[in-house]
Amino acid sequence: MKDRVAVIGIGCTKFGDRFERSYEELICDAAFEAYDDAGIDPAQIEAAYLGTYLPGSGGGKAAVSLADALRLYDRPITRVENYCATGTDAFRNGCLAIAAGTYDMVLVLGAEKLKDRGGRGIPRLGHPLLARGNTAPGLFALAANRYIHTFGLRRETLAKVAVKNHRNGALNPKAHLRMEVTEEQVLKAPIIAWPFGLFDCCPTTDGAAAAIICRADLAKRFRKAPVLVKGAGLAVTSGRPYFDPTFDYLGFRSTQAAAQQAYAMAGIAPSDIDFAEVHDCFTWTEISNIEDLGFCPKGEGGRLEEEGQTALDGRLPINPSGGLKSFGHPIGASGVRMITECVVQLRGEAGKRQVKDPELGLAHNVGGPGAVSCVVVLGRG
Amino acid sequence: MSKPDGTSYQKYLPRIDEESRGYWEALARHELHVQRCRDCGAKRFYPRALCPVCLSAATEWVRASGRGTVYTFTVTYQNQAPGYRDALPYVLAVVDLAEGVRLMTNVVDCAPEAVRIGMPVEVLFEDVTPEVSLPKFRPA
Ligand SMILES: [Zn+2]
Repeated sequence: MKDRVAVIGIGCTKFGDRFERSYEELICDAAFEAYDDAGIDPAQIEAAYLGTYLPGSGGGKAAVSLADALRLYDRPITRVENYCATGTDAFRNGCLAIAAGTYDMVLVLGAEKLKDRGGRGIPRLGHPLLARGNTAPGLFALAANRYIHTFGLRRETLAKVAVKNHRNGALNPKAHLRMEVTEEQVLKAPIIAWPFGLFDCCPTTDGAAAAIICRADLAKRFRKAPVLVKGAGLAVTSGRPYFDPTFDYLGFRSTQAAAQQAYAMAGIAPSDIDFAEVHDCFTWTEISNIEDLGFCPKGEGGRLEEEGQTALDGRLPINPSGGLKSFGHPIGASGVRMITECVVQLRGEAGKRQVKDPELGLAHNVGGPGAVSCVVVLGRG
Repeated sequence: MSKPDGTSYQKYLPRIDEESRGYWEALARHELHVQRCRDCGAKRFYPRALCPVCLSAATEWVRASGRGTVYTFTVTYQNQAPGYRDALPYVLAVVDLAEGVRLMTNVVDCAPEAVRIGMPVEVLFEDVTPEVSLPKFRPA
């Protein structure tokens, strides 16, 4: 697949509490921006992939939510859902379809409208056989506490991740939580599930994001310098890893496996990556992710954060967009939104949050927690 | 011993199915059981039809000692789901049983701040309906 698929257009809505906009409108906002960015007519879209956890009302568990919103009828549209890796996996599927030579041009779109619908906030992760009041923060906290016990990570280091990502997000007009926070504010915030306080957790968010991808050899007709897909990996492990006595709770092997697939496909090493959008659903997750992605050995992610290596002007900027922490986390939209950030950065169009001269960017989702991971590597054409 | 009628219990109740029936029946007798593969001898939790080691369907229930250690835990301060919102803060914990299997549970009968990784714990049983008792753990 390497260098056979190009991203020629991107679109992304303002993320946030979008009570004033419907699910269909969010889809249209993202798609039309991507059509304009690519300079294409919607009729040129041959196939589409919709990444969504909660489809539009009446849409059921199918791709009709995308077809109806965009009036894209009589052509293949596939709905992808794979926990929090939904968006990046939708993108990966679109890339495979192009690399296979089946279609020349594909739309990938992630959309989610969570704030005015149930299912988030009040957790339903409660099968009493397996769980005892586990919440999303609680499940990641189980891992964070074991990690803290093993490596001596401090809450102050977790707080530095929130401070950094809020600082990046404050520079981003489309981010959900556009305010800076201090380390003291993060540390003093109400505890949700120890060690996570409120500012260690990403928000629940509405939003949509889109990417138009096409055959790399056709891409120059649409853009002078299209961004190329270098590699993609997806790894699925047990959906119930918590009960496996060999699971060490120090990281996620699905991320390690997905990253290895993507690096092998791209023919690169982790050290070749210039910046990354990683799944910072909680502050600890970012630290664990950058280890699982191979940017440093296990247990040293906190040091990278402490030393400022992950800051916008650091050696390896992590979540220049503001990440899930500040940009928000509309499940199915998040992965596609990360792709759009990679493209903006690789084009050099990120303004105040621009990373210096990047050649290769990486997008990563992990869901489950730990059950499913997807990694995409993008590069300058 | 009298058991609650279950009408006041707001947290999630299990759908008892064929794979887990033996587990729930044992808990109702205040015994913690895990499955053992009749072919390779591997013990497993959660209950399921096939052995995760050798895929054998030949399974028997064996009584666990109820003793274990806390592998990891968190103190949950926010959960607005019915039943849980009235029980905050509570300890969500992963306990490794002496039998080599792992389960998710709550540590009770002690201050949440007193729980530690590696702490020895023992099972106790909370009766929530006439059919359902839940295994919880307390410092041993
Ligand atoms: Zn067996």
